[in-house]
Amino acid sequence: MMTPAALTKRAAPVLACIGLLAVWQVASLALKNDSFPTAIEAVRAIPDILGDKESLLNILASLRRMAIGFGVAVLVSIPLGLLMGRSRSIAAFFNPLLMVIYPVPKAALMPIIMLWLGVGDVTKTLVIFLGVSLPVIYHSFEGAKAVEEKMLWSGAAMGLSPAQRLVRIVLPAALPEILTGCRTGLVLALITMITSEMIARQSGAGNILFNALDMGQYDTVFAMIIIVGAMGIFLDALFERARARLVRWSEPQFDMPLSFS
Amino acid sequence: MKARQNGRGSNDAPHVCEGDGLSGRFLAKLVLLNVRASETRYGMTVVAARSSEWMRPVTSQEPASAIIEIDRVSQVFQTSARKDHLALSDISLTIEEGAFVSILGPSGCGKSTLLYIVGGFVSPTSGMAKIKGHAITGPGPDRGPVFQEFALFPWKTVLGNVMYGPRQQGVRAAEAEAQSRALIEMVGLKGFESFYPKELSGGMKQRVALARTLAYHPEVLLMDEPFGALDAHTRTRLQNDLLTIWERDRKTVLFVTHSVDEAVFLSDKVVMMSKSPGRIRQVIDIDLPRPRRRNELLLDPRYQKYVVDIERMFDESDEAGPVS
Ligand SMILES: Nc1ncnc2c1ncn2[C@@H]1O[C@H](COP(=O)(O)OP(=O)(O)OP(=O)(O)O)[C@@H](O)[C@H]1O
Ligand SMILES: [Mg+2]
Repeated sequence: MMTPAALTKRAAPVLACIGLLAVWQVASLALKNDSFPTAIEAVRAIPDILGDKESLLNILASLRRMAIGFGVAVLVSIPLGLLMGRSRSIAAFFNPLLMVIYPVPKAALMPIIMLWLGVGDVTKTLVIFLGVSLPVIYHSFEGAKAVEEKMLWSGAAMGLSPAQRLVRIVLPAALPEILTGCRTGLVLALITMITSEMIARQSGAGNILFNALDMGQYDTVFAMIIIVGAMGIFLDALFERARARLVRWSEPQFDMPLSFS
Repeated sequence: MKARQNGRGSNDAPHVCEGDGLSGRFLAKLVLLNVRASETRYGMTVVAARSSEWMRPVTSQEPASAIIEIDRVSQVFQTSARKDHLALSDISLTIEEGAFVSILGPSGCGKSTLLYIVGGFVSPTSGMAKIKGHAITGPGPDRGPVFQEFALFPWKTVLGNVMYGPRQQGVRAAEAEAQSRALIEMVGLKGFESFYPKELSGGMKQRVALARTLAYHPEVLLMDEPFGALDAHTRTRLQNDLLTIWERDRKTVLFVTHSVDEAVFLSDKVVMMSKSPGRIRQVIDIDLPRPRRRNELLLDPRYQKYVVDIERMFDESDEAGPVS
């Protein structure tokens, strides 16, 4: 039997969604604008998209690029961030470089990359990679810097080599921080995925969305927004679950309530 | 060497059981496990020593060789105010193999720094430290630190922390676990094996830190106020346990403390330091019989005299030097 509090907690996101759709419905009925379909029209268009083989292949292609871009970025960024956090000379080398790249919107680099690598998968995956890398590097770097020195000394006294200390002490100790970076990276992967497909149309979820926009199929446009949004929410929830499991040892003991509940 | 020591221990385990109640029994178990571990590891047979060797007192009468030599060590720190701070000035100290040496001094006199230099974690600005005649250039499993800040691995459970060293040294998982469980029991944390460090109190963390270092059998223990955060009762119990371990294994111990009682009770030698710059004021030999029993010692006028004398010396240094 669930307590009322737990029930509320479970139901809250669903209620929020229903509330949002209701506001949408009322607003679109009130505005009576062609380019603003009602929530019901948009939701009705979802099965059409997901039932269409072509669209499904497009969405899968997007997800594949996103997975590869995200995966490679994480695999490269974590070691780099950790090395930067533990070695002053490596940090001194990469820091200025990253400082320059950091504020540049990665999609703004697309024209150049397209010029060099074409409009195919490689370009789009590379942009996703760039978008994900920076937050992951930054958080790994901060996490590695904050590792307590005495912990590393304890490891050294037990006979761990510098490389072993990096993998077996710095990595786990910085894991909570690293995963915070990965979570930001995941959301950014979704954003850059759609943006890249908007710039270089050819395939993908972003392609469906913007093609529909060009052809004035506004219910499809809004249905795609719902699909992409749902994908984001689902991936984030999945990641959050894995993260909570991996760093259970570091979660704070007592919740500091931010609300008055 | 190790195997022989362990053999001696297991041979004499019954003595300890009679004398020391609970903790002795835990220790006996522990030592037996060690013997098994070293047999399999080095393929040696265990040579049991004569019991007379065990009985022999280990004070200054025995010709002991120096294991650690600290030779004119100074340490200068660059502070944030861009001023040089002389934390240790011209420290020379020789520590004999198997000796229990305490370092006593006011806060900030460089006790921890001296320990870090012996541990190889910090290299001195000038002078050098040696272990068994070789210059100390870095940390190694022959010197086991117990830090003031505990420095437990927060992603490992209590058992995982204690097993870490033996596993790193190549002890098989089952053996490492059995040894570690016995050690955890000895430091009074039975039942907490699967707790994470964040779920422990300060005193409990300190006990895990002690067990974690003892688990990989360093020849020299470098202990930085290891009992500082404990309540009086646990403190006394762990002091006794440490003495029992020490009397059996004859590990060399370098022990930093604020407490004059503790230093006199445990040590063969008390090194008194003074502050700004950190210097050795005096080295006092504590000539009290072993094995020491706390209740007997507290009544011993010689013990009382050591404590009073050392406390008086501190008061004098406070009056002489600039007081902080
Ligand atoms: N990394 C460092 N950088 C600058 N100064 C330091 C550093 N480590 C220690 N010191 C200084 O060196 C002096 C000795 O420090 P240390 O930690 O060895 O003292 P301590 O005797 O262990 O004190 P306590 O009993 O409080 O632990 C202090 O004055 C401290 O400010
Ligand atoms: Mg200290």
